[in-house]
Amino acid sequence: MDGGHALDKAIELINVSKLYPGVSALTDVTFSVKKGSVHGFLGPNGAGKSTTMNIITGLIPPTGGTVKVFGEDVQANPESARRKIGFLPEHAPLYENMKVSEYLKFVQSINSLRSTVNSDDYLETLELCGLTEVSHRLIKNLSKGFRQRVAIAQALIGRPEIVILDEPTVGLDPKAIVEIRELIYSLREKHTILLSTHILHEVNLICDHITIINKGIITSTGPIHEIQGGEEGTQIILAEVLNWKDELRPVLFRDLPLEDLLVEKSGSDTRLTFKLKGKDDYRGWISDILVKNQCSLLQLSKQTVDVENLFKSATAEKPTKGRVQ
Amino acid sequence: MIKTWLKGTSLLYKKEIKDSFLSPFVYILSGLFIALGGWVFFSLLVSAKNATEATLTASVLIPSFSLYRFILMIICPLLTMRLLSEEKKNHTIELLYLSDLNNSQIIFSKFLSSLTIVVFMLGLTTLFPAILGFSGYSDWGVVLSGYGGLVLLCMAYISIGLFASSLSSNYVICLVLAIFMMLGLWFLVLSAGNTDNYLVGLILRYFSETYHFESFARGTVRSFNFVYFFSFVTFFMFLTGKSLNSRRW
Ligand SMILES: Nc1ncnc2c1ncn2[C@@H]1O[C@H](COP(=O)(O)OP(=O)(O)OP(=O)(O)O)[C@@H](O)[C@H]1O
Ligand SMILES: [Mg+2]
Repeated sequence: MDGGHALDKAIELINVSKLYPGVSALTDVTFSVKKGSVHGFLGPNGAGKSTTMNIITGLIPPTGGTVKVFGEDVQANPESARRKIGFLPEHAPLYENMKVSEYLKFVQSINSLRSTVNSDDYLETLELCGLTEVSHRLIKNLSKGFRQRVAIAQALIGRPEIVILDEPTVGLDPKAIVEIRELIYSLREKHTILLSTHILHEVNLICDHITIINKGIITSTGPIHEIQGGEEGTQIILAEVLNWKDELRPVLFRDLPLEDLLVEKSGSDTRLTFKLKGKDDYRGWISDILVKNQCSLLQLSKQTVDVENLFKSATAEKPTKGRVQ
Repeated sequence: MIKTWLKGTSLLYKKEIKDSFLSPFVYILSGLFIALGGWVFFSLLVSAKNATEATLTASVLIPSFSLYRFILMIICPLLTMRLLSEEKKNHTIELLYLSDLNNSQIIFSKFLSSLTIVVFMLGLTTLFPAILGFSGYSDWGVVLSGYGGLVLLCMAYISIGLFASSLSSNYVICLVLAIFMMLGLWFLVLSAGNTDNYLVGLILRYFSETYHFESFARGTVRSFNFVYFFSFVTFFMFLTGKSLNSRRW
């Protein structure tokens, strides 16, 4: 790997795993966040998003594997990684009894103990996050939306190169969600952003790269357009037949670049979901095979893979009950 | 190096002090302490038969220091129970972990802030010996050593309380843990009196803070009494640091 390439990666995780007593929270997690990108980190509840983020920031140690921030090992040099990262943890770390400006000033001062310059960075951050009007109010009296802004502001103090946000829009009303999203979107020019969410629509709106995690395993990662069915993308074809024969399964797997085939019985019909690799149109082939085997093909359609489908297929429980024996 | 260490410690210390003195909790505790302390002091004074200097020392001052000690055994864990557990509960501990502060700064600033409050409370009670002073009492050596002993004792109790506070995010649990640890130490001196083995008794006594505090209360301080309290505090701070480290999940 050449040096320039390495520096292109703001964050790099290599085979990171995390074992909690009795639970394997992460298994061989490998992905990287490109410098300057807005990277969405998607996964259902309990997938390991927060665990991954806590490991990247050095808050908790991984059980195995390496995390690099701008090429530097976080475990070996936690100090320098910490300086480059601003972090909004899952639970906003707010001191309820402080005023907004007092809090941000406090955060700034505990993060700049070694610097001799007296900057008023926190004032800029107040303005950037739209907090000027509430700067003299106690944090405990703020609305949830404003509290979340304060928590984001806290992550931006000191202008870190990387900003990591763990579910920044969770629990907010629709208006506040839009405002927070706009705030995040406005940060993308100056910061590399990694944000976790389980709102898929959000990813489509603000992210240019995504990583999907389920049960501690990365299921896909890359630029969003690539994942949405580019060169290496997957495509999904849906078919409905009247007479499904299970013997066909090996035939289909032999003749098609099939990754997965889901068979669900619904009433008298059987619904088939083909997950295929490649960009050719396989509908003709599929219909040929099905017709030749007298399956009584009812319907055949190609589905464009958007994040939502990808997410669904990545995180679906492998349905044993729906499968025809 | 030391300068940045002090800067961080004082930042957190100021925050703690401000939090404490802005909440009514400290004032309520202070009020209760001075009321109880005053009641103890004056009932001892009234029951003292003839008010010579020697009897005042033996039957008023020394017993009142011993009784303050029991009140402080409750007050210290009440002051410390929230110190770390609340930071955990509100997840603000993560903010501290990810800052330039290290464990020693977090522990020292919290320790000092509680000590400040306790010293403030003890300061209020100096009123009582001062009243004696107006009526001619002048054995200040005993008063000084008694207060010195109380401060050292509080340092020990605060370090226990701080350690307990690092063990759970529920402050009631922290309070109970701290009180049990202190009771455990106190029982050491009781069992020391019960054992027939002279050496075992001596060792048990050495580990109990009661034994050392009594030297102060009587004004018979030796250097090993200081050694005891400082190693006590250091030991519990060390444990607190360990606990904070392991609790980085
Ligand atoms: N301290 C812990 N001890 C034991 N298990 C834990 C601990 N923290 C997390 N886990 C487990 O690790 C797994 C991943 O948790 P994590 O919080 O990272 O998920 P998440 O993707 O952030 O979920 P959510 O969307 O609910 O925030 C879960 O199964 C969780 O139960
Ligand atoms: Mg989470």
